[in-house]
Amino acid sequence: MRPIVEITALNVSLHRAGRAVAVLQDIDLTVRAGEILALLGESGSGKSTLALTLLGLLPDASRPLISGSIRIAGAEVVNAGPAELRALRAGIGVVFQDPVGSLNPTMNIGRQLGEAITDGRSPEYWLDRVGLSRPRERLRCLPHQLSGGQCQRVMIAMAMARRPVLIIADEPTTALDVFVQARILQLLRQIACEEGVAMLFVTHDLGVAGVLADRLALLHAGRLVEVGEVKDVLRAPAHPYTLSLLAARFGLGVDRQRQLPVSEFWSNNGSGGARPLVSSQPWPAIRGADQREKRERAAPWLLVMTEVCKRFVLPRRSLFAAPVTVKALERVSLRVADGEAVAIVGGSGSGKSTLLRLAAGLDQPEEGCVLYSAPDRPQMVFQDAIGSFSPWLSIGEQIAEPLRLLALSGSERRRRVAQTLARVGLEAALCDARVNRLSGGQCQRAALARAIIVPPRLLLCDEAVSAVDLHVAAALLNLIGVLRRELGMALIFVTHDLAAARFVAERIIVMEAGHIVECGPSEALIEHPTHAATRRLLDSMPDRLAL
Amino acid sequence: MIAGRVACIALGAMTVLAALGPLLAPANPLLRVDVPYLEPSLQHWLGTDEIGRDLLSRVLYGMTRAWFPSLVIIFFSAAIGTALGALGAAAGGWVDLVLDRLSELFTVIPSTFVALATVAAIGSGTWHAVLAISLVWWPWYARITRSEVRNVAARPFVSAARLAGVRPPRLLTRYQLPAAFPSLLVAATLDMANVILMLSFFSFLGLGAPAPAPELGAMAARSMVSLTTHWWIPLAPAFAIFVLAFATNLAGDGLRTAFE
Repeated sequence: MRPIVEITALNVSLHRAGRAVAVLQDIDLTVRAGEILALLGESGSGKSTLALTLLGLLPDASRPLISGSIRIAGAEVVNAGPAELRALRAGIGVVFQDPVGSLNPTMNIGRQLGEAITDGRSPEYWLDRVGLSRPRERLRCLPHQLSGGQCQRVMIAMAMARRPVLIIADEPTTALDVFVQARILQLLRQIACEEGVAMLFVTHDLGVAGVLADRLALLHAGRLVEVGEVKDVLRAPAHPYTLSLLAARFGLGVDRQRQLPVSEFWSNNGSGGARPLVSSQPWPAIRGADQREKRERAAPWLLVMTEVCKRFVLPRRSLFAAPVTVKALERVSLRVADGEAVAIVGGSGSGKSTLLRLAAGLDQPEEGCVLYSAPDRPQMVFQDAIGSFSPWLSIGEQIAEPLRLLALSGSERRRRVAQTLARVGLEAALCDARVNRLSGGQCQRAALARAIIVPPRLLLCDEAVSAVDLHVAAALLNLIGVLRRELGMALIFVTHDLAAARFVAERIIVMEAGHIVECGPSEALIEHPTHAATRRLLDSMPDRLAL
Repeated sequence: MIAGRVACIALGAMTVLAALGPLLAPANPLLRVDVPYLEPSLQHWLGTDEIGRDLLSRVLYGMTRAWFPSLVIIFFSAAIGTALGALGAAAGGWVDLVLDRLSELFTVIPSTFVALATVAAIGSGTWHAVLAISLVWWPWYARITRSEVRNVAARPFVSAARLAGVRPPRLLTRYQLPAAFPSLLVAATLDMANVILMLSFFSFLGLGAPAPAPELGAMAARSMVSLTTHWWIPLAPAFAIFVLAFATNLAGDGLRTAFE
């Protein structure tokens, strides 16, 4: 196959805070027609910068310095003038992470698609091509009337309608539900095969990259550490970084009796050439396990939710439409024993987060009751780790909030904060920092610190590891497991990822459309799923997808 | 950081200039010093006005008389508005309803009218005008505060703080209210020009300081007839108003950048 993208000896430096920082170094990469190349990297690895460099869209404000060569279908991108770049971009289709935000909210789908079409086909044809049902009716829809997955299909249709030689897809499924992700990946695979375009698929998700792509390019700290056929890379990784990444991957087969093997390699910015320290630690002993029986006899359940209902009223679709009520939870009952780890699994809109907010006491149920039998309050770790800290107060001050209820001296309080930060693996220096200085993983650790500084009997985690990179997610899962055992806490872990649920929890609860549809011990439930919703969740996991 | 410094310098320079105005003025602004309608010269930098008073002295005094009362008005109306807006947003329910309707009421009744009525009731004078304007000026700040506090209430960090046991007063002042400060500050600095004009308007109607007093708006309005013959006489006070307004806008932008 002829090469579409040829990148040779590419170096990119961007200015940050007045200093030039080398973001990409010595990149050599080829993407051929008809193949999907997954550009895999963690946040900050430079993968989005590479995608923007290909498009000639690096922000002028960061005064980019580019050397080397990028040829797309034979035309040079580096140092091209505005007119040449425009001509180049006409041959590239782009699909971004946020499909709803990428569409013009004031223009209907048909007109937006019409502007992209160059070959005289009807917009209807393209909507049908990307598998949108009832295309004729959709043409008149505005973006907010479509779901995220439907908008992403429209974006793909717009990218395809330009008859591009290259499609750049930058994390196109990251913001989508697991079920939708599976269908979008199938669509991308099908389109790449049938239309014979080259596709650069930028992602942080090894599972997705492994199942979708033909070839894999692994970017780490601005350098390509591995390029090759997906099968070869996964079977015989050559670079220690790849090795550590593969080791940190948690699938359905991972050993639950030990911690996940997380290497030290990734944290030292890739400078070390040493082999990664891949080892898996055993779990610590569960604190208070011997007294658990006695406590359970006194009060068998820590949390009892009985037939809780919660409804939300959606905004009206038009002036004369009746308001629509969504039943987020419909007569859901849940019991959690002291010290037990429970995972609640489901797609988006299944009601799992609503259930967690009720358990935390942040919302009240319309019907039914929530009984929490410990004297403290459950503590919670939120999905949006960065958003769960106020930007105006220091991290230390916010972590110390639960201590204000105990009459402690200032020095005692500072000692407890430092101790807790060390416990979750954060430097004491971060105490005085604001949230904007912390990475997503650090924020999630700080959120854990705030939750356990006064150890609660019940810890709630809402998609706590969904938004972070693989290494960070593995380390966080280990940390949650260790803390739960050391402090003898019960845990409710909400996730869409069955592998994480199985690893963390002893019992899994599957939710769909506001109901609990299946419940059972982790291993057994995944071995023998009885409900269709569980099977659908299993089938949409990247390592089980058949494309 | 540079923007923040520029902002502080601009605000500081205005305040110093306004404070030193009377000391810098070469002549008494109320007395005739020369023949009327003199062109700018070394002796009278901006010339003299219709009755022969030194125009530079009048403008400098005018800046003093415009700047400090405006600062006081902004300060008081922002304080009242922030308190009422935050209270409504935090309390919710009927408290919020009453406060919100009250601020709407003050918005729909022409504030000039209410202020004029107040001055008519308590008598004229600069500080009476300040009080009257402050009483009608707060609803904007209340609405900004209320909407920002309510917006931020849905953010995860407010939920997280509630779970961490933060009590409502602290939750409001430490977690929610800071969200409103940047908008309030920008609104306040943009408002300075309006307040300066409002004060001038009051003085023009004889409800501020009485006629011979050097108030910038009144000076500009009264000498407008000279615009075609001696253009600098109305333009000098107008330009002074422009400088004051521009400096505060610059400061507002700078402070906003510094906040972000």
